[in-house]
Amino acid sequence: MTVLLELDAVSKSYGATEVLRPTSLEVKDGEFLTILGPSGSGKTTILRLVGGFARPTAGRIRFDGADVTNVPTHKRPFNTVFQDYALFPHMNVARNVGYGLMLRRRPKREIENRVAETLEVVGLSGMLDRYPSQLSGGQRQRVALARALVCDPRLILLDEPLAALDAGLRRQMQLFLKSLQRQVRTTFLFVTHDQEEATTMSDRIVVMNVGHIEQIGTPRDIYYAPASRFVAEFFGDNNILGGTISDGRLQCALGAFPAPPALVEGSAALAAIRPEKVRLGTAAEPADIVFTAAVIDVVFAGAITQVLLRPNASPEAIITAKLTSGAAIGSLAPDASVEVRIAREDAVILPAASP
Amino acid sequence: MSPRLARIGLFVAAASAPVVFVLVPIAAFLIMSFWRVETSQLVPDMTVANYAAFFASDTYPRVFIETLQLCAIVAVIGVALGYPIAYLIWRQHGRLRYVLLLLFAIPLFMSYIVKIYTMRSILGLQGFLNQGLVTLGILDQPSLLFIYNRLAILLTMAVIFLPFAILPIYLSLERIPRSLVHASADLGGAPLASFRYVILPLSAPGTIVGALFVFVLALGDFITPQMVGGPSGFTIGRVIWSQFGLAFNWPFGAAMASLLLLVAFVVISLAALIARRQRV
Repeated sequence: MTVLLELDAVSKSYGATEVLRPTSLEVKDGEFLTILGPSGSGKTTILRLVGGFARPTAGRIRFDGADVTNVPTHKRPFNTVFQDYALFPHMNVARNVGYGLMLRRRPKREIENRVAETLEVVGLSGMLDRYPSQLSGGQRQRVALARALVCDPRLILLDEPLAALDAGLRRQMQLFLKSLQRQVRTTFLFVTHDQEEATTMSDRIVVMNVGHIEQIGTPRDIYYAPASRFVAEFFGDNNILGGTISDGRLQCALGAFPAPPALVEGSAALAAIRPEKVRLGTAAEPADIVFTAAVIDVVFAGAITQVLLRPNASPEAIITAKLTSGAAIGSLAPDASVEVRIAREDAVILPAASP
Repeated sequence: MSPRLARIGLFVAAASAPVVFVLVPIAAFLIMSFWRVETSQLVPDMTVANYAAFFASDTYPRVFIETLQLCAIVAVIGVALGYPIAYLIWRQHGRLRYVLLLLFAIPLFMSYIVKIYTMRSILGLQGFLNQGLVTLGILDQPSLLFIYNRLAILLTMAVIFLPFAILPIYLSLERIPRSLVHASADLGGAPLASFRYVILPLSAPGTIVGALFVFVLALGDFITPQMVGGPSGFTIGRVIWSQFGLAFNWPFGAAMASLLLLVAFVVISLAALIARRQRV
């Protein structure tokens, strides 16, 4: 796949505050790329720089090979879906969606057809005469999408567009956005702080933290092989066990895990273990570490039951296990003593300090 | 006193303020406009003679219409000056914005009479404007072009009432979310197109309110025409004032004031109707 958008050592400072450290990123043609990070991570800054609403302090932005770093917003060939939708309150749906075409001086007939077509794609036919104030949150969202899609841009920027929707509608819109992106074959650059949202929709995810990129990869890559402690803790739940590297292994209170050779002998490191990889009382494999623990609490959450455990060997470390719900787990009582097993290869070993 | 009684008392007190200070005086005027004067004595009556006299006169209706025209032009000038100023203030960032806004609002705290004298000292025969033009060689000698005529009334009123145009326009601009301006640019709108299709329509209600403020204030102003208007300063406000102050025909003055109030009311209602159609 060819590179559609390229950030080349782009940084942004406001006075002495550097909100984005020099960052390079390539967005491939046709992909759904999500920038994920907590607030203050610089993810929205990237979108503002790409959209032209702010100028980078240093670095270049290229679109389709052409330098657009200093091109004003209205001459950039891509469109944005804003977090608050930014629909024009004095225009009805038809005029909102047709706005970009009207500015391009397209014939009236063509605008009408194109607007009707696009509204059908987003599932809003027959709402042409409504005003934004007469629409629900989900409908406004779709109008904003249609307005960005109508000019057929090769790239669409989406700034947390689902943040204002309630949970059920958000899940529905996630699936819709993904299928829409496949249908229109447009590149989506999506910004969110919601890890689950990023996982469901994206081809690739860029995880950001305090103004820099922590990791870029597919949702699977990032989930199963987090590159840093921040990613391990921010991207889904993880049990973190601290220890030291010795003899090429991470030694911690509950056992030893094989460590990658890059980790220096004697340095502090940690093991990140997904809660669903923690097993209780089943037959041991030779590669498992085994320890006994006391049950602190059993939380039933439908298909999954979450068990909080306090290992006898290391009472300050609380281990969470996510298990498929069933009668055996349901009967676990607090303070019961259980045998806990973790396969050594299920632990991701990371340096304790972020690089 | 029980809390319930206290609440009722408070409500009556709050509701009575506009009644006592606004509705009662207006009602008094309306009632008086149906009275008549006999040998310098007010006689309570129910006659439409005052209104009939007004419409039968060949001076007063003409002055009335001319005053409306004058005030409309003042409103247009007020908005023509006020909109660009409000827009420029709005485009500033941070503290500068509020400093500028305050600067333009300061005249609101100054005495009205002082402002008129200031305008006279600018526009007058020995005023700054004439002196400046003579110094620059544009005029050979000071001119009476800017004082004691209709132009002087227009300029003075427009300047004095300018803050009343700027403030509502600025407020309506400030209510426009920045994201709408961004969205317009994002969809290909050059700055001028964004102004025309987004900023201007969304600030229209505030602009209408600003024009109304200026219009209504100008309508009631009888001092400015008298002070800077010279022979052409004969507006309906001055006519009404002279009925009270000189001719001692209060009922006739009240009738003309009631008509003026009616016109102001109609204009405000029309403007409100237009503003509501903007859907903002």
